Amino acid sequence: MGLYVDIKKSYKGFTLTSSFESGKDSLGILGASGSGKSVTLKCIAGLITPDEGVIKVNGKTVFDSAAKINLPPQQRNVGYLFQNYALFPHMTVWANIALAIRDKSKNKEKTISDLLERYELTGLEKRYPTSLSGGQQQRVALARIFAYEPEILLLDEPFSALDAFLRENMQAQLIRILKDYDGDVVLVTHSRDEVYRICSRLLIMSKGNIVANGETNTLFQNPPNVISARITGCKNLSEIERLSEYRVRALDWGCEIETDEPIDEAHTNIGIRAHYFTKTPAGAAADYSRIPVEVDEVMDSAFDKTVILRVPGVPHRSILSSDKTGEDGRIWWICEKNTDISGLDALYVHKKDLLLLRS
Amino acid sequence: MLKLKKNKLMPILIIALALMMAMFGACGDSSSSASSASSDGATSSETAEPDEPEVPAITGNVAIAAAASLEKTFTEKLIPAFTAANPEVTFDGSTYDSSGKLQEQIEGGLEPAIFFSAATKQMTALVEGGFIDAASVTNLLENQLALITSVSSDTTVTGFEDITNAKSIAIGDPASVPAGQYAQEALTSLGSWDKVSASASLGTNVTEVLNQVAEGSAEVGIVYATDAAGLADKVKVLAIAPDGSLEKPVIYPVAALIKISDADQEAVAAFIDFLKGSEAKAIFEAAGFKVL
Amino acid sequence: MVIEPILISLKTASVAILFTFVIGTFLAYVVFKMKNGVIKSVVDTILTLPLVLPPTVAGFFLLYIFGVYRPLGRLLGYIGIKIVFSWPATVLAAVVIALPLMYRSAKGAFQQVDPIYMQAARTIGMSNVHIAFRILFPLSGPGLASGGILAFSRGLGEFGATAMIAGNIAGVTRTMPLAIYSAVSGGNMELAYSYVVVLVLISFIFVWGLNYVTEHGSNKRRASSDQD
Repeated sequence: MGLYVDIKKSYKGFTLTSSFESGKDSLGILGASGSGKSVTLKCIAGLITPDEGVIKVNGKTVFDSAAKINLPPQQRNVGYLFQNYALFPHMTVWANIALAIRDKSKNKEKTISDLLERYELTGLEKRYPTSLSGGQQQRVALARIFAYEPEILLLDEPFSALDAFLRENMQAQLIRILKDYDGDVVLVTHSRDEVYRICSRLLIMSKGNIVANGETNTLFQNPPNVISARITGCKNLSEIERLSEYRVRALDWGCEIETDEPIDEAHTNIGIRAHYFTKTPAGAAADYSRIPVEVDEVMDSAFDKTVILRVPGVPHRSILSSDKTGEDGRIWWICEKNTDISGLDALYVHKKDLLLLRS
Repeated sequence: MLKLKKNKLMPILIIALALMMAMFGACGDSSSSASSASSDGATSSETAEPDEPEVPAITGNVAIAAAASLEKTFTEKLIPAFTAANPEVTFDGSTYDSSGKLQEQIEGGLEPAIFFSAATKQMTALVEGGFIDAASVTNLLENQLALITSVSSDTTVTGFEDITNAKSIAIGDPASVPAGQYAQEALTSLGSWDKVSASASLGTNVTEVLNQVAEGSAEVGIVYATDAAGLADKVKVLAIAPDGSLEKPVIYPVAALIKISDADQEAVAAFIDFLKGSEAKAIFEAAGFKVL
Repeated sequence: MVIEPILISLKTASVAILFTFVIGTFLAYVVFKMKNGVIKSVVDTILTLPLVLPPTVAGFFLLYIFGVYRPLGRLLGYIGIKIVFSWPATVLAAVVIALPLMYRSAKGAFQQVDPIYMQAARTIGMSNVHIAFRILFPLSGPGLASGGILAFSRGLGEFGATAMIAGNIAGVTRTMPLAIYSAVSGGNMELAYSYVVVLVLISFIFVWGLNYVTEHGSNKRRASSDQD
């Protein structure tokens, strides 16, 4: 059962290579725009044809380039939620949903009114999609998909079209809806929060390749490589030089860091999440590494404070020259809003909060 | 670009030189062809006798406006014959169309040197309009009306009398095509015009009618005998209009217009004489005309 | 003024638009769905050609095919059908001349429809035929309607090809354009003028309707959709 994907596609300048399997989980695909995540999803749905490879849905081969099998979407039994929902604008809510009902013998009226009720759309059946709010449109789109009764559910950045304050509600709603759904779910997004909340398993994609594959929790806690760290939100990354089994020199920060995991040759970088610094170590001093810093910029957000710090003596590359990662060797620290940073000359990080990364 | 501006004078001098050389050379040529024309003893009385001093060659342009039915005869026989004897004469601006259209065009500003129409109506109109001097009009040819069908046709029609047996008929529009007017006259005298005009396709010139019959689109059609002769491989004549069906015969008058540029006067006059001469007569008769 | 040319023109254009609309839309759909780029552009060029060539070229080809002594014309003749010099020839000429207009309008209308709707339709199991009739065509509505109006008007004003294959038979094939041309040739300017006025009036009404449809049709529905 589940999803089996092993495909390659040359596409607009890069080659997409996707190879993964998934069971009855909700699988997230996290990546930046252009990383190939949407293309992968569309290949599974049959909307795009890969150059070569195999795709199986619940054991059934829907695509096999060698055997020349390429089922159209109509025969793949997939439910696809488009980024902007793709509700047919010239049809009412009722008609949109009715189109998706496959079993002609079913009582259409009842099926649709049940769905309307389930998704809190009762009373809207005669309305046209353009007169609905973003949240309502998404619920209609979901109702339409579930009317189709697909085997797997593919969600293409379902919340990117929504306003920020609506998004969280919709995420919670989706989680509730997915609890009732029996089949596999694949969610494509560039939002860390979304994928963390909704998906139990995670693929991280970058520039057409899968760079990490595992449980969401684990990948966030311990990203295996630099790209994964970056994509899961780690802003502080430094190349390292191994000094001993538990000690490295952070080359971009000009200081030595103590780790609690053994360092091997494959580790090339170290990462520290912005939340994990502290002004004063709480506990055994030996467990902390000290990084000398100077405050460079401070950005106040509504509920916390972001401090950007320079490491004295280490020249930082300009943001423009660093390869689109936005990293310039400075350190980002997110702390509580009322933290006093006057006279700050060093930050501390516990050895358990360090990420050892391969490249 | 700059270079051209500086030496603007040069190209002009070269062209002027070339023109002068051409004129001298041409003078030499035309005098010899004039003498050879007269030694043939062919047409015009105005060419110099062999032992007289050389007469300067006739130059000028003769723009002809003639009925469509004359086009082939002119372009394939008459103009080449005249040009062989008078190479300096050009026929630029010549046009062939229905006499009605030509009349309109002349009234609208077209200025040919010679008008040769397929009916007297248009000539009379232009005389009255002051474009042509009545004295210069010559009734040169007579054409006869023919009922035709395509060579591969299996029509049961035998002549003008039973034309209404045809399933489709093509004639020229009487409002604008002389051949159409004559067809109307002939059929009226036979009593079948009303029936025919209600179901016939009216063409805007006689060549159109001819080709429609050749294509088989129309089972039969009425055109001039000359047209039929010109397309003898595609159409065959079923009958000539019966005697007396036309009150007046189909007359083709020719005349020079009053307004002719001085440079062309001589050539136009020479050509008109040529048309009245015996060489032209032979050509006309071969094309199916009767020369008056 | 004889009103028959007006009636014939209207009759011809009305019958012609039925064929033109269906055939034009169908051909546009076929080309729209073609995958092979080379074949697609060749077919598209051929179907657009009559738009830029003079109608007499179309008339020439029609005569070449349907003429009494030509292959197809002869074949039809055996079963007693003669196209040339008959009223159906006016319809034939109007259809051939107006078809590229309808084809291009329809194809343009299809291309304007956001492909995401077709994709969504496929993911809910709709067959291609179903998608065409329930999604693509309705969403192309204004474009198809304006194409139809253009094609009707073009068929109404068709002259060159009509003159060549239908002849100029009063009460049968003499459409308004032919009547105008005959009247002018015969110097009957008043008659020509009356037909011209009628033709201009009818065309005005149709083009006005065209603008109305294109303005109001596109306002009605367009869900915005920007891609990843």
